[in-house]
Amino acid sequence: MSANGAVWRRVRSRFRAFPERLAACEAEAGAYGRCVQASTAPGGRLSKDLCAREFEALRSCFVAAAKKSLKGGS
Amino acid sequence: MVPRLEMLRTGVVWHRWLRPRTARVRAENLGCREVASGVPPLGSKSLGVLNIFDRGLKRKQKNWAAQQPEPTRFDYLREEVRPRDSGEWRGPLGLQAQVGSQIADRVYDIARDFPLALDVGCGRGYLAQYLNKETVGKFFQTDIAENALKNSLETEIPTVSVLADEEFLPFQENTFDLVVSSLSLHWVNDLPRALEQIHYVLKPDGVFVGAMFGGDTLYELRCSLQLAETEREGGFSPHISPFTAVSDLGHLLGRAGFNTLTVDTDEIQVNYPGMFELMEDLQGMGESNCSWNRKALLHRDTMLAAAAVYREMYRNLDGSVPATYQIYHMIGWKYHDSQARPAERGSATVSFGELGKLNLMLQGKKSQ
Repeated sequence: MSANGAVWRRVRSRFRAFPERLAACEAEAGAYGRCVQASTAPGGRLSKDLCAREFEALRSCFVAAAKKSLKGGS
Repeated sequence: MVPRLEMLRTGVVWHRWLRPRTARVRAENLGCREVASGVPPLGSKSLGVLNIFDRGLKRKQKNWAAQQPEPTRFDYLREEVRPRDSGEWRGPLGLQAQVGSQIADRVYDIARDFPLALDVGCGRGYLAQYLNKETVGKFFQTDIAENALKNSLETEIPTVSVLADEEFLPFQENTFDLVVSSLSLHWVNDLPRALEQIHYVLKPDGVFVGAMFGGDTLYELRCSLQLAETEREGGFSPHISPFTAVSDLGHLLGRAGFNTLTVDTDEIQVNYPGMFELMEDLQGMGESNCSWNRKALLHRDTMLAAAAVYREMYRNLDGSVPATYQIYHMIGWKYHDSQARPAERGSATVSFGELGKLNLMLQGKKSQ
């Protein structure tokens, strides 16, 4: 097993930064969430990549927030 | 560190980063290692016996959870909160302590004291800290995780810790006056058998007071993951373990031999800052998924998508997200001659047809 849990701690610290990066992308997250929620209404059908455009926007915002925090941290 | 930064800058490499390095299992390790995607080892368990959960993995998870440092910042949340009030985001102790205190309340309501009691799936002993020496004389605590028993919380009752599985209690028949179980029966493979075991170790006129998670628990998380996985990956696999329905629970208790059953449901809603905090909290409680059919990997894309969906569909006014825990409280008694029984057929003195004249009858009796 692991010697001192260093790898796990490193991965976890990266994961713990997710919420604040998500908080920086509230608008895009809201847009994506609304798109998915709309498909659950009667008559809608959720299929793969139905909201791909909104998700791309969310992901690029998330990556930008990650870059910014990494630059600021290091 | 530098290669990772490169990957972050180019969005194309995002998916490659997601794939874990140890996804492929080497051929020589297949026999001895547990395969992450969760196939039960060949030759385990006879056919016909339910095997939904990997108990070995659950033991590891509970061991890990029990040795996490106690979050002292959440100590104040150990006080009992009235049910149906939404609580603040609490660490791994809050929910278990609250349910423990509710079970202790039910034990106090029974106008008896119990010289010998058993706690099945005790965890770190959340129940014992709410009971006192007058009600319970000696307390046996069992759990499958040895770390939980080692790090058990302070209590004034003399306790004995036993390492045992809920389905294989190592006690003789008619031993205990009281058996309690708090939030551990939902990970049991063969629930009918576990309840029968509990009935077996109870003395006649002994009582079983239990609480377990029920059908609607974490439905917000389940729906968000389902929707996000369908949209991102084209299909979904279950990430929340299956729960018992309330009607089934009544039948199971009856089949196990319990009398005078009481089953009631309680919904506790806890607010979290977001989905990631909720998942971390569940892991800290030792409630990570251990079903055999679980998917080995949850993509970061899917997690991100699910967090966004969760936030949009379920968030509260103040921005936090709720998580619902539906808890079934059950009380069952082992048969004893002194217990009240339904009246004999034909012993009625009043008929239902006279129910409408009940007021007149009572008045007539009073005036006499």
